Amino acid sequence: MIGRRKDLSAGILFIVIGALFVYGALGQELGTPIRMGPGFFPLILAGVLILLGALLFLQGLRQPSAEPMVVPWWGLVLILLAPTVFGLTVQGLGLLPAVALVVLISAFASSRMSAWLALLLTIGLTVFCILVFSVGLGLPIRLLGPWLSL
Amino acid sequence: MDLLANLGLGFATALTPVNIAYCFVGTLLGTLIGVLPGIGPTATIAMLLPITLSLSPVTALIMLAGIYYGAQYGGSTTAILVNLPGESSSAVTAIDGYQMARQGRAGTALATAALGSFFAGTVATLVVAIFAPPLTAIALQFGPAEYFALMMLGLITAVALAHGSILKALAMVTLGLLLGLVGTDIYTGAPRFTLGYPELADGLNFVAVAVGVFGIAEILRNLENEHEREVVAQEVRGLLPSGEDLRRMVAPILRGTALGSILGVLPGGGHILASFASYTIEKRISKTPERFGHGAIEGVAAPESANNAAAQTSFIPMLTLGIPSNPVMALMIGAMIIQGITPGPNVVTDEPALFWGIIVSMWVGNLLLVILNLPLIGLWVRLLKVPYYVLFPAILAFSAIGIYSINSNTFDLFAVAVFGLLGYVLLKFECEPAPLLLGFVLGPMLEEHLRRAMIISRGDATVFFTRPLSAALLAIAVLVLIVVLLPNVARKREQVFQEEDA
Amino acid sequence: MIRRHLTAAATILGLSMGGALAQDYPTGTVSVVVPFSAGGPTDTVARLVTESMSRTLGQQVIVENVGGAGGTLGAARVAKAAPDGYNLLLHHIGMATTATLYRSLPYDPQTAFAPIGLITDVPMTLVARKDLEPQDLAGLISYVKANKDTVTYANAGVGAASHLCGMLFMSALQTPLTTVPYKGTGPAMTDLIGGQVDLMCDQTTNTTNQIKGGEIKAYAVFLDQRLDSLPDLPTAKEGGLEGVELGIWHGLYAPAGTPEPVIAKLADALKTALADPKVVERFAELGTKPVPADQATPAALQAKLTAEIARWRPVIEAAGIYAD
Repeated sequence: MIGRRKDLSAGILFIVIGALFVYGALGQELGTPIRMGPGFFPLILAGVLILLGALLFLQGLRQPSAEPMVVPWWGLVLILLAPTVFGLTVQGLGLLPAVALVVLISAFASSRMSAWLALLLTIGLTVFCILVFSVGLGLPIRLLGPWLSL
Repeated sequence: MDLLANLGLGFATALTPVNIAYCFVGTLLGTLIGVLPGIGPTATIAMLLPITLSLSPVTALIMLAGIYYGAQYGGSTTAILVNLPGESSSAVTAIDGYQMARQGRAGTALATAALGSFFAGTVATLVVAIFAPPLTAIALQFGPAEYFALMMLGLITAVALAHGSILKALAMVTLGLLLGLVGTDIYTGAPRFTLGYPELADGLNFVAVAVGVFGIAEILRNLENEHEREVVAQEVRGLLPSGEDLRRMVAPILRGTALGSILGVLPGGGHILASFASYTIEKRISKTPERFGHGAIEGVAAPESANNAAAQTSFIPMLTLGIPSNPVMALMIGAMIIQGITPGPNVVTDEPALFWGIIVSMWVGNLLLVILNLPLIGLWVRLLKVPYYVLFPAILAFSAIGIYSINSNTFDLFAVAVFGLLGYVLLKFECEPAPLLLGFVLGPMLEEHLRRAMIISRGDATVFFTRPLSAALLAIAVLVLIVVLLPNVARKREQVFQEEDA
Repeated sequence: MIRRHLTAAATILGLSMGGALAQDYPTGTVSVVVPFSAGGPTDTVARLVTESMSRTLGQQVIVENVGGAGGTLGAARVAKAAPDGYNLLLHHIGMATTATLYRSLPYDPQTAFAPIGLITDVPMTLVARKDLEPQDLAGLISYVKANKDTVTYANAGVGAASHLCGMLFMSALQTPLTTVPYKGTGPAMTDLIGGQVDLMCDQTTNTTNQIKGGEIKAYAVFLDQRLDSLPDLPTAKEGGLEGVELGIWHGLYAPAGTPEPVIAKLADALKTALADPKVVERFAELGTKPVPADQATPAALQAKLTAEIARWRPVIEAAGIYAD
């Protein structure tokens, strides 16, 4: 269903996100118009988002279904994994291994990548990043983190 | 005449060999670092700040200003080449600039950006030199009510950013506004939508959101059909703009410069609105608005000039009042203090050589930028010939380091992944990311000024209509809205899009 | 450039010799976390002091900005770091106020750190838009009391120096004013200069030049003696206001468990930095001065921290404002 009628799906997505924000805003004080609380403005905006989502949904109902969409699932997983792994390792392992991991993981997202090329790219880009950021700019991030020094 | 004497003093200061050299080094370094994907002016300056600390105050500030222009131009380069804005104002450049690059016109887009920026920089430097004090006085007239009205006007212009459904553009703006509200409420200190993570107390990081919804989503889109896909056309047509291109860009550059010079003076949000608003104006008055979003050169020329003019005039509040108008200016003020100069109204009288030297160096910096970048365009464009499966791991690596370097906050990297997914899903639903980013930047300001206006007026909502400036801005906003929603205009829009589909 | 190469090499070496003896300290780059963004007043203080400490210690002392959540994120980072003398924290009065402003901190400000020494005490000034009627502090006090419904007080957000000072001022006057919060000092100062709000109380680092330039009006300095940089400005006590003395003090900390000799070495380097003429001169331009030598000690900082936590707890609890 998703992807066949884009407005319909977009409408549903906006309604869901709007509802989540309504839920969050209701947990906050609403305040008075003079001194609005933290929940006042978000609640109004979330309401507008739900309204717009509903309009999109209605518009989508009248659309013919579109062709199915292509999703690069393997690439999707790897591309989203790369920054996550960097975040998880940069403080523990240090900048050098974290950069290498980002490049290595994301390189395999492309079906055109071969193992050798990935390795070459990892080494090349890691060296380049270290030279630019650590040596050239003196970025205060440890190259090798505490997990590696025993 | 005072102005001539002052400018003379400025030229004498800025044109010493040492200062020219450092201005050049700053511009070069700023361009080189700023061009790395995911690293915009704020991150570049924060990284390069320590280098300037050993220089004399004037030289250091001239170099910093050079880094600023260089980084800004470098950021636009990345926006055009790989659709990755390093800051909010280049998000607009990415819309048409990237489309031009995909059509093999990257060189033209980059040259347009460089020429537009130089012209805007030259005019804005003069504006700073002549009008700094009166413009400051006008900027001070802007209270919370006026800012609220201005932000509303800015949001309404966002509708024009989309070249698809108005409804979707509005929804994206609203979603952006909501995402901008994540973080600590400044009025009560209550954390909002932080899901209990203290890392979210200061809100979502702009660069993380931009890299996610623009960069990651674009990479994924390119991975969809790798075998037949055109990431960027391999064949690159003429690097320099043709006569036709030049003719098309003149008026947008003039309008962009004017708009940018004015809006840049307003502390907080002025420079962001400048590029968005100038794009909207060009699209509105264009006889062929359907070209926008598909590689219209006006869509690069106008926001780039506006952006650069605003970058220049945003020095005005800092130089005359010692008030930072954006994060970059806050960094500059920090650098001045470390150098032993406390920015404030006294700088112009106590340190005239420094004051006028900086102003003149702005122009020198812009000149160097053009001289430096016109030859470099060939190099940048050649980068596009690097196979995409080599390019995107590099984009990810640079972005990761750049984002982490801003606040050493690993949470920002998880945000990249989350917003990458969201951005990709929205892209699949044909929702465009630029309005979302505008909303994201304006969201917290809109709320802040609304609430502040209500507190100061003691709950009297008519304050928005009784203050003349605010009323005028709101009237313009309503006018724009009517023009957008007017039935016959809407019908024309529909026709345009049907033609496109056909 | 060459120095940078050496620094990078030294960093790698320093890491591989993780277990080096304390008397050899420091053998590598020392990182000082500033829990606020680059370019702010605290960052400025840190950069001035660390530059001098680098020379004394013979090793690079670098500033790392870890901003967010009122300085608590950066503090939490250092609290968890290895207590080897290579991870330090430079924090201001917020170290004491966040103990109450945040009801759940991931660290205990009193026990998670080994104090090294106090650095400076930045005085606060009470300022107003330039066309506010009263001519002196006494006049202002009666004006504020008579117009308490319309007078507005600007601050730079929960926990900011201007917020703390406002709480003290209002509790001294027994008069709650309409507070208008801003995101940082810059925008608040803009609106004060533009006459959109009436009053603010902020650090001399942020107000001195605007006062001198006549953009805003100053009523008092919240200190027991007049300032060298603004000799005409009376103290609060001269104007008849007691109990509002307030300075934004800065201190240097290491994680708890850092070896004693390392702390001693750092305290000495800090003391040397505070006597450095260049540091003194720059501090003076900021309207402040280094603390006396006997304050730049672990004991003095510990005492200050404990006293300030006790001082602020009732004030914050009475105002009922929390940051979480």
